[in-house]
Amino acid sequence: MHVVVDQDLCGTTGQCVLTLPGTFRQREPDGVAEVCVARVPPALHAAVRLAASQCPVAAIQVIESDAGDDERASAELAPSPAEAERHAANDQRNPGGHDGTV
Amino acid sequence: MDAQETTATCRDAFAELASPTCIQDPYPFMRWLREHDPVHRAPSGPFLLSRHADICWVLEATGDAFRGPAPGELARDFPRAATSLSLNLLASTLAMKDPPTHTRLRRLISRDFTIRQIDNLRPGIARIVAARLDGMAPALERGEAVDLHRQFALPLPVLVFAELFGIPQEDMFGLATGIGAILEGLSPQASDARLAVADATSASVKAYFGDLIQRKRTDPRPDIVTMLVGAHDDDADTLSDTELISMLWGMLLGGFATTAAAIDHAVLAMLAYPEQLHWLQGDAVGVKAFVEEVLRCEAPAMFSSIPRIAQRDIELAGVVIPKNADVRVLIASGNRDPEAFPDPDRFEPARFYGTSPGMSTDEKIMLSFGHGIHFCLGAQLARVQLAESVPRIQERFPTLALAEQPTREPSAFLRTFRALPVRLHAKGG
Repeated sequence: MHVVVDQDLCGTTGQCVLTLPGTFRQREPDGVAEVCVARVPPALHAAVRLAASQCPVAAIQVIESDAGDDERASAELAPSPAEAERHAANDQRNPGGHDGTV
Repeated sequence: MDAQETTATCRDAFAELASPTCIQDPYPFMRWLREHDPVHRAPSGPFLLSRHADICWVLEATGDAFRGPAPGELARDFPRAATSLSLNLLASTLAMKDPPTHTRLRRLISRDFTIRQIDNLRPGIARIVAARLDGMAPALERGEAVDLHRQFALPLPVLVFAELFGIPQEDMFGLATGIGAILEGLSPQASDARLAVADATSASVKAYFGDLIQRKRTDPRPDIVTMLVGAHDDDADTLSDTELISMLWGMLLGGFATTAAAIDHAVLAMLAYPEQLHWLQGDAVGVKAFVEEVLRCEAPAMFSSIPRIAQRDIELAGVVIPKNADVRVLIASGNRDPEAFPDPDRFEPARFYGTSPGMSTDEKIMLSFGHGIHFCLGAQLARVQLAESVPRIQERFPTLALAEQPTREPSAFLRTFRALPVRLHAKGG
């Protein structure tokens, strides 16, 4: 999964940064949101979809179609976004886990 | 109109919201509106929407199906729009602009309101909170009543703004005194006399900012005013004189009364629901849940103050909103809509536990900061002020009680206070 912010549309509210501070950040000069990960780890898929749906100006677009993505993380009962982000960070520090796609 | 009559029909919801009954408790009337007249049209023209889903839709469609008012259109609501200084300033604020002008102006200022910048203000805000509570303590401990609104809730945002703007505290208190009068003059129900008072106050605020801009030019400092003056002087196409003054004036209008009201309501919630105090005694996640629930239950700005103009005929709940109609949203009602928040009149911080700010566990939007392109610029600043103050008040004065009933401002639009007298409850030792 990839996620992009439409920087013309961005309302600079920072809502996405509050939801997933490790995935989104605000540009220094004007507060416009940026994505700071090249690819969204599977554990964060549900949280990123949530952040996209919660953007006050609908500026976040989720591109689902990565071949080989593990969709298990999009289960109905997802952890809170920030919690999922911490878990994802742990997964990346422990590449021996079973959630990696490569 | 009493409650019995409102169950049959309501001619003008804006007038009803200004009635003494609604000033005291507007929520029964808002419930009636949601159930019987969710797409209300006032005789003077504006529509008023009261259901959560409709409000969200309008706010999301602002900039698209809805636009800001054209220069002549303010005159429909405000016959004196052409001659009133307050209305002229209002017409130039961010909230009245559409993209791309809105985008250009908002990005100039959003640099200073990023989540990181606001987080950097936290220690300064905590210091102000501690100093104000220290200031209240001796009188409270002597058993005297203290007006928490005037001694704490209002001074906190005023002092925070003094730092942000880089102006002396006493000057900011002087400006803050006038803001209430300006807000009342801008209400759709305001009399000519009130608008005249608002205009006189706006003139003095404008004159103050004119001098301030000169001072920041000769003595630049790391503050918002210096930054905006720099943007204006670099390129007046980026920020005109009028836009600069309106921007500063608009931030004061949006930032004081609303933040103070949220703090007042948080204290009232602490006193009314002692069984919910545990939210304030644990970690930041619990504090956030408590604060969001206060904001949901008591939206300081009850309906949208800016007109949203329909770009085409729009049908909503069987009612046609004609093209060019002025549509307002009653966000305080959307926050109490059981379709979005079950058992909506119950104070229940658990609705916001572990969620992103402004989102319930059911993924419904808490509307008090708005939604869409005009989402409150100062939302995070307000949240940090609440998070840094409400638990501290509880911790410092655990036996706080009302000394007498609070006095509300008689406003149809803002749910704010004039006084909130408190004292310490004597608990045998």
